[in-house]
Amino acid sequence: MAAFYMSEELVGILRQEGAASVLQTQVAQLFEECREDVFRYLMTLGLTPSRAQDATQEVFLRLYAALKGGEQIENPRGWVFRVAHNWGLKVRARHASESPFDPDLEARLAAPAHDAEQDLLERERMVSFHRAVESLSDQQKRCLFLRMEGLRYPEIAAAMGISASAVCEFLRRAIGRLKKVRDE
Amino acid sequence: MSNWPSGHPGEDLLLRSLDGELPARKARQVRKHLEACWQCRAEMESLEVTVADCVRYRKQVLAALLPEAPHAWQPLVRGFDRVDAELAAAPLWKRLPRLAPAWQWAVATAAAAALLIVAVLQFGQTSSVQAATLLQKAVAAAAARPVPVRHISIHLRSGLPTLHTLGGPAGSLLPLPPDIHMAFQAARYDDADPLSARAFQAWRNSLPHKTDEVATEPASESPHETCYRIRTQAGDGELATATLLLRVADLTPVESKFEFRNQNWIEFTQVTEPPSQPDGSPVATPLEAPLRPVVPSRPAALAPRSSASISDELQVLTVLHRIGADLGDPVEVNLTEGKVLVSGVGVSPERQRQIHDLLDSTANVEVRFSQPEAALAMPREAAPATAGDTANVGIQTRLEKQLGSRAAFERFSTRVLDGNEAAMAHAYALRSVAERFPARNEQSMAEPDRAQLRQLAREHVAALETQVRVMESALAPALAGLGGKAAAAPSAAGTDAAWQQAAEDTFRASRRLEVLLSVLLGITPGQNAASDLPSQVLTAVANLNAGLSHCQTLLAQ
Repeated sequence: MAAFYMSEELVGILRQEGAASVLQTQVAQLFEECREDVFRYLMTLGLTPSRAQDATQEVFLRLYAALKGGEQIENPRGWVFRVAHNWGLKVRARHASESPFDPDLEARLAAPAHDAEQDLLERERMVSFHRAVESLSDQQKRCLFLRMEGLRYPEIAAAMGISASAVCEFLRRAIGRLKKVRDE
Repeated sequence: MSNWPSGHPGEDLLLRSLDGELPARKARQVRKHLEACWQCRAEMESLEVTVADCVRYRKQVLAALLPEAPHAWQPLVRGFDRVDAELAAAPLWKRLPRLAPAWQWAVATAAAAALLIVAVLQFGQTSSVQAATLLQKAVAAAAARPVPVRHISIHLRSGLPTLHTLGGPAGSLLPLPPDIHMAFQAARYDDADPLSARAFQAWRNSLPHKTDEVATEPASESPHETCYRIRTQAGDGELATATLLLRVADLTPVESKFEFRNQNWIEFTQVTEPPSQPDGSPVATPLEAPLRPVVPSRPAALAPRSSASISDELQVLTVLHRIGADLGDPVEVNLTEGKVLVSGVGVSPERQRQIHDLLDSTANVEVRFSQPEAALAMPREAAPATAGDTANVGIQTRLEKQLGSRAAFERFSTRVLDGNEAAMAHAYALRSVAERFPARNEQSMAEPDRAQLRQLAREHVAALETQVRVMESALAPALAGLGGKAAAAPSAAGTDAAWQQAAEDTFRASRRLEVLLSVLLGITPGQNAASDLPSQVLTAVANLNAGLSHCQTLLAQ
């Protein structure tokens, strides 16, 4: 999706009713494209599916509010993940007394879906890969998941409130660990 | 020559290269190394396989096995209405900052203007007199203290603030986008240190028409500290408004903002909070090098001393120069608490060992290296290509044709960039020496020290001249073929009375050439018209040669 850029002229136009709906259409389109990715990312932060879904909606409404308020957003997808990350952690903190959501992916992975030997091998590989992912530190995991969603280092850095070089270091350790597990 | 201490790029560099997160020049170095090194290529392929595993994991595990949304997704329309209603109900003062960051600045400026009226009435002085007096005092205060290593946050109109280090013997320059650098140059504003009273004063004095505003306000980084805010509006020129905040206590510049006519702006803030490690713990490295006491040069007859002098500092610099540790290694030398402290963060183990071997047994010298910390170094995001680049892409194609083939262009590019890299290392080192031993300090030095200092500077100038010749021998025939012609270089006599000032001018000329070369070779986007670029590059080379020649003349006096 093209980057949103709210020039002064565009701010002026948006004051007209018709142009506001253009912005709504753009945000709605991005919502269609990215909501599943954001929803999944929020679950990896430990949000229950229900809270992750509410949070996803909220994040896109914040995007709309920010754009309507004149904020310049060069990369809306990166912005959405940054806000989702912070919002997700806030939601988690609000419900800190509850255990984080655990989708028990390993059990789901282990459930035989097909009989073919190739599938079995691939499943075993994915189980051990999943275990390696689970063994990463929280920060390594978050950097990795955000990178998987296509965010660049500076965007991940902005989302997590760390430097881009720290992002590189977390990713290096994460990838190194996953590589080691694969080679074992 | 290898660019890495171990002879191979580390895993972090390979990963950043794979992710397209390296600056263009570094990426080119890694790519060239990979072409030649089986070991690193195998390592890179292994990283690629792991990345492919991650992609598969996202698809086959996260996307396939995580639960689906429990409810059907609702359209956002009702939410949009809610947001619209909330925005409409918000009071104006709350809405104003959301409109554009520039408005916040306008509000702050309005407050400053109100304070200014009070100040003018109180002191019976005009703002211009106040601004000129404050700047004069700030320049004098800065000259009386050594240049500390500073951590500066840069905030551009687009993008998040980034943190950089300025100063120190390793030399550093704030990484400004080429268009901002060009705009500073067009405005005749010295952007080598945009957070200095001297540069602000020089620019302000050059303005035929200006309006000044002076006020006091708390520093944004340390609200408990009061600052003078000087804001100067230029009647004409590229730079419309410049603002400088000087700490009242010692007139140190802590913040500056520059607003250009094309609506672009940039902000520099001296950061006082220590950076933190990836795990959130603070870094032990002090943010500012301690101010060095005023100590005399050694007397002619040397007697055993219990505290270090600038002679010791000069000896240390000479030792570092002999092993090339003053050419880009992050090694800092500070004269503090009666000793010369040699420190550095992220210095390679081999270099650390060399420096320890040479300096550990030297009296009044302490060598102390720290572990690298991750939070400070912000790798620059590769500059995205812009529409304005089309012309420069054209010139690279023309250059390729002129040279005969793509391979010839690559060789040409490598030769020029390698020459420029080596030249810049010496330009930084020369400037660092000139700043460390300003003319007034040099006058009070003992004769052997002065001779040694000048020898050090001469060696850097000579090395720079050699590298400029290397670049010129490649650039001149190729760019002449594209119609490039150097404009007449200014008189070699120049106007500088001291070699230190000439060294500073040489540094600026080197930097100017570096920016133009990076645009010419397609490393960074630029606004230069393609037809004019060859002439600009050749003129920059001629100016640099003239500056170096002038510097040598002054050093020989």
